[in-house]
Amino acid sequence: MTMREFFGRLFPIDLFKGLRVTGGYFFRRKETVQYPEKRLEPTDRFRGMFGYDSERCIDCALCAKACPIDIIHLVDKVEVDPTTKKKKKTITRYDIDVKRCMFCGLCEEACPTEPRSIWMTSKTYEGAVYERNEGLYFTKDRLFTWEGVKPFPGVIAPRDGQLPHDPMGKKAPDETTETPQAGESEDAA
Amino acid sequence: MSDPLIQYLAIPLAKIVVILGVLLFIVAYLTLAERKVLAYMQVRIGPNRVGPRGLFQPIADVFKLFAKEDLVPANAEKFVFMLAPLLIFVPSFLVWAVIPFGEAFTIGGLTIEPFMADINIAVLFVLGVSSIGVYGIILGGWSSNNKFSLMGGLRSAAQMVSYEVPLGFAVVSVLLMAGSLSLVSIVEAQRAAGVWFVVPGILGFAIYFVCGVAETNRNPFDLPEAESELVGGFHTEYSGMKFAFFFLAEYMNMLLVSSLAVVLFFGGWLRPFPNVAALSFLDVIPPFVWYLAKVMAFIFVYIWFRGTFPRYRFDQLMAVGWKWLLPLSLANVGLVALGVLLLGS
Repeated sequence: MTMREFFGRLFPIDLFKGLRVTGGYFFRRKETVQYPEKRLEPTDRFRGMFGYDSERCIDCALCAKACPIDIIHLVDKVEVDPTTKKKKKTITRYDIDVKRCMFCGLCEEACPTEPRSIWMTSKTYEGAVYERNEGLYFTKDRLFTWEGVKPFPGVIAPRDGQLPHDPMGKKAPDETTETPQAGESEDAA
Repeated sequence: MSDPLIQYLAIPLAKIVVILGVLLFIVAYLTLAERKVLAYMQVRIGPNRVGPRGLFQPIADVFKLFAKEDLVPANAEKFVFMLAPLLIFVPSFLVWAVIPFGEAFTIGGLTIEPFMADINIAVLFVLGVSSIGVYGIILGGWSSNNKFSLMGGLRSAAQMVSYEVPLGFAVVSVLLMAGSLSLVSIVEAQRAAGVWFVVPGILGFAIYFVCGVAETNRNPFDLPEAESELVGGFHTEYSGMKFAFFFLAEYMNMLLVSSLAVVLFFGGWLRPFPNVAALSFLDVIPPFVWYLAKVMAFIFVYIWFRGTFPRYRFDQLMAVGWKWLLPLSLANVGLVALGVLLLGS
């Protein structure tokens, strides 16, 4: 043992350094969010609960094909209008088994309509239920009326010049809130 | 009522009730304080749901502990299993008989000393009685018939025995300065010296406090409990009120070590610089409050340690105890003795 080591152990300054660190944290602002009273706002790219709009849906079933774990169940029937002889497809079932969903968002990416008919809302994360089989199985009606469902847009992967608040570039440009970076404003407008 | 009846029955009984009540109240709120302080050091808020700012949490905890099922393992040594919590619990309360909380004061013609007894071997009494507690831990660990508990008990035995030696020597350095074993006389000696004994005995105090942390099985010396390796050590198998006894005793011992540190090194109930007349405005604060404030400062340091230091390995623990603290404490006794001899106390 060198002299340096010896005196280092005799006067354990490093212990006090450690105490100073924790003592500093004692006075720091606390990170806790008092959840039921206060909530965190997820970012706009957060993938939350599903939103579904059966009016826009064209029944192409691309979302069901895109789903890696096949939890989107889609049934349709073809009706022939007796007077005009026109065929009309109607969706009878559109079910998502959310308890197995991993929120990859591939269904939303696959959706060809614009705006999307199936999307992931960005501000909803309170999907907890007491009974998972019933509570997390979303039929067409439940998807449509689900309380947390917010209107589009949820946000898909950003392309060049895409603003996170306005992924499709459909909103009117708002100078007061948005501060677009150089080169992005023309694309977004 | 005749005088002896008041003097020998009513006053001591009242004192017992007051001391026990205050102690239990403080211990209950220490649990809350510990959780709060730890939370603050971990950038959390801590319990805040029961009552305003979580202030009723200890009461809820007490009800919870009472309501819990009291399990006894099938292969446990039943009698010893029951005895162990009492063996650690009783001494931790017994020692408070000799701890002085303040000066004698007079109310309505009655002179009341705010301590149960001022015996002339108080320091020995405290060290002796508090050492009985280790039996509770060993027996509890052994009678549970559980590997983890046994390991915890054995560790605690080794730890308590090896740390009691430097602790004793650190206390001896105070005894040399004070020339008395009575805790009241030790405080009075600090008043006469005009300075707290921590100033000449800083090394002794450091040794005392490190050993005190080890004696109470607190971080970073909590090897007997070590929940991350021993699942709770000696109290793994205890539940309900029996566990509460261990829990209470741990906090009582923390209070005791802090109180003893205050009495031996920090002038007990005296204000800072007890002989400097310029500071006499500090006498507005009653002695008991001084005492309590000092004890609470130590308790805070205890919790601070818990929030800061990782646990020692067992061989490190033994190395610190025998290779560093013991020689240091012996050297300290020699130095203090030399100082007392040269300066004439």
